[in-house]
Amino acid sequence: MFRLAFLTTGKAMNETISTFKRSKYFGYALLLGLALFFWVFFKILSPHNFGTSKLMANYLQTSIQYAVGGCGFYFIVVMGMFDFSIGANIVLSSLVGVLLSRHFGYYGLILGCVLCGTLIGSFNGFLYTRLKIPSMIVTVGLMLVLESVANYVVTLDSAGFPGKLTNANVLAFNHAPWNFIAAAIAFLLMGFILRFTKLGTYFNAIGSNEFVAKSMGINVEKYKFIGFVLLHFFVGIMALLTVSYGKGMLAVTGMGSMSRNFKPLMGTFFGVAFKKYGIPVSAIVIGEFIITLIFNGLVALNVPTTINDFVTGAVLLAIVTLTNRGLRGSVVK
Amino acid sequence: MKEVVLRSEKINKHFGITHAVKDVTLEFYRGEIHGLIGENGSGKSTYCSMLSGIHSITSGRFLLEGQELNIKSLVEANLHGISIVVQEMGTLSGLTVAENIFLGREDKFMHGFIKDTALMNKETQQLLDSYGLKRINASTVIDNYSFEDRKLIEIVKATYFEPLVVTIDETTTALSQNGREELFAIINRLKESNKTVIFISHDLSEVLAHTDRISVLRDGELVKTVNSNEVDADDLKRLMVGRELDKRYYRTDYDGRVSEEVVLKVTDLRVPDEFEHISFELHKGEILGVGGLSECGMHELGKAIFGGSYDRTGIVQLPQKNAYINTIPEAIRHGIAYTSKDRDNESVVLANTIGDNITLPSLDLLANKRVLRKKKLQAFAQEHADRMSVRMTGIKQYVFDLSGGNKQKVVLARWLGRNSDILIFDSPTRGIDVKVKADIYALMSELKDQGKSIIMISEEILELIGMSDRILIMKNGQINGSFMRNEALGEEDLIAKMV
Repeated sequence: MFRLAFLTTGKAMNETISTFKRSKYFGYALLLGLALFFWVFFKILSPHNFGTSKLMANYLQTSIQYAVGGCGFYFIVVMGMFDFSIGANIVLSSLVGVLLSRHFGYYGLILGCVLCGTLIGSFNGFLYTRLKIPSMIVTVGLMLVLESVANYVVTLDSAGFPGKLTNANVLAFNHAPWNFIAAAIAFLLMGFILRFTKLGTYFNAIGSNEFVAKSMGINVEKYKFIGFVLLHFFVGIMALLTVSYGKGMLAVTGMGSMSRNFKPLMGTFFGVAFKKYGIPVSAIVIGEFIITLIFNGLVALNVPTTINDFVTGAVLLAIVTLTNRGLRGSVVK
Repeated sequence: MKEVVLRSEKINKHFGITHAVKDVTLEFYRGEIHGLIGENGSGKSTYCSMLSGIHSITSGRFLLEGQELNIKSLVEANLHGISIVVQEMGTLSGLTVAENIFLGREDKFMHGFIKDTALMNKETQQLLDSYGLKRINASTVIDNYSFEDRKLIEIVKATYFEPLVVTIDETTTALSQNGREELFAIINRLKESNKTVIFISHDLSEVLAHTDRISVLRDGELVKTVNSNEVDADDLKRLMVGRELDKRYYRTDYDGRVSEEVVLKVTDLRVPDEFEHISFELHKGEILGVGGLSECGMHELGKAIFGGSYDRTGIVQLPQKNAYINTIPEAIRHGIAYTSKDRDNESVVLANTIGDNITLPSLDLLANKRVLRKKKLQAFAQEHADRMSVRMTGIKQYVFDLSGGNKQKVVLARWLGRNSDILIFDSPTRGIDVKVKADIYALMSELKDQGKSIIMISEEILELIGMSDRILIMKNGQINGSFMRNEALGEEDLIAKMV
């Protein structure tokens, strides 16, 4: 009798554990556990140069700008697409925002960044859906075009450092609370779109099986277009934060903007990996924070940049691989 | 007098040169469970896919309650009161259970562009509870559930809105005994509420036990509709098979002599959830047929022998070469060839030329000190394409332009070029016309005469009987019967071991 009761309790316990492991709480526990682990790790190795409350606030401020871009990226990555023109859009939208801020102050800065970003997204989406060629190819071409346009835009203002526009008079978004407010609006908006509109469901459906999505009556081309528009809307907000943090923006050429793609993308990887727990937005935000912790931890240890990049990349791969193991033999593209 | 709820009139479906459904005229009564049976490729799933808007109709029409249907998607079918639970996975990863169930039908939860997710989850949970699936959480991402649970969720999705006609296409094979009981409880509930269920299954006892009438399809044509209580499994088998054996294409020799020499020895081979305890020997110059129902594990067996299955245990040995096969490169190096049933995805590279496809596995043989010469590659490809009589504009033609039969010829040319000694052909004549079929059978006989050994996995019984020296029949992942080549061997003998 005792044994039977024990077995029944054991079965119930297993069921409870299994349910917990599928829940969002487990996802949060994993993410926060990882953040705590890396904080403790680097704090022990570098007690004075890492992880003080002031520095933690700085890490958070740094990570939120990438998290905003990561949220935008999520919309198209989850549909199996990619966009190389994010960095170029950040540069161009920032420059347009700065130029408009000269005449319209903060209104010009915000609208310039966000509207320019969104317009570029509409153009990307239009070209992708019309040309019917892979998103990577379309967006590499657009990246080159946008970089060239940015170089032209920067010549519209002859004052200051050559090739750079500065926005010394509109810097509210380079510190709290306005940077947090802008980022929070972006995170809430993304959460809202994923949870309270059809878009989130349809983006996932298209990414899971486009044929089935089509046969369910979903207009796949339309939602891919919307995905691009949303991505670049968020990139516009990221541009607002980036140009404020940097107090200006330098125009680049020769695919120099490409490196700006990858930090937001790292957060997106976290979002995709933790999608199964139903917490993609939180995963992007906390994921970016973890990446920033690792990066700054290594800086605190005076690790050379090349090693820093290596370790950050390796940790990212390890986390995403361990949390997102597919079926053996399944095709991963 | 029973009321006809659904009627199909002269329904036809062509896939390229394949005439999958031919002039099917059929009536379904309100409140009946109607079985639809037939051999693999008889057109059952295609017929129901047209009814559900998954495939378009080539000609003919469906009439639901007297009104002609013009359905282009599953959602449109649902709106007309028709739904289907498909054979393959029909739920989408990354979506919650609730999102899957209401995909494409979210409008009832929309306030403008805002979705009332809480209400959708609540309603879904109530639905799941009413189906006895309380263990499934509506707001959980569906990836967290097993294949069986996902199948049950799909059944809820297909039936919750009280459709007039529900098709259950070969779903029971994915379910355990408990799952099947849950499914039949749902089917009976639909019948009690005067809905019509079209039930497709290879399990004849299941079909007989749960249906009112049964329609039999063969080669895309309707053979007969019978009352379930007036027939038995043998009657159904006769109706499914019931044609004269057509031996024109097949071998005419019946001496069944093969060499004593064992070229391949398979010992206790197992792939979890696919098959287990498979042991046999393949002799030099032997055509060994492997047959069974589609899901019996035979297709995975071919892949496993070739080293292409994950989690495989057991031994695949080449006794003459004292070699063991565990990976695909080892298999190719030791002269084993494999053609998959899934030709487009696993055999040919569609976006490559015929020449590139033929030379692909032989590049190491054609390289001169690791350097490939274009002329040599072209000559090689041309020689083997000509040998297989591939109908093409040239070897630079892309494979995606070719018909199914010619694609198969390209695959065969590839392995002939490699001069493989053991050939594993999975469904070698699937979906190809009679002329190419005859060419492939002739090639198999020629290869046999050359001392090559062939494992032919096939869902076509006539092909197995007509071409094999020996036939192994698989059922539920195990060998359930073995037959030597002889003139008296009939289709019924094989079917009896399959079902």
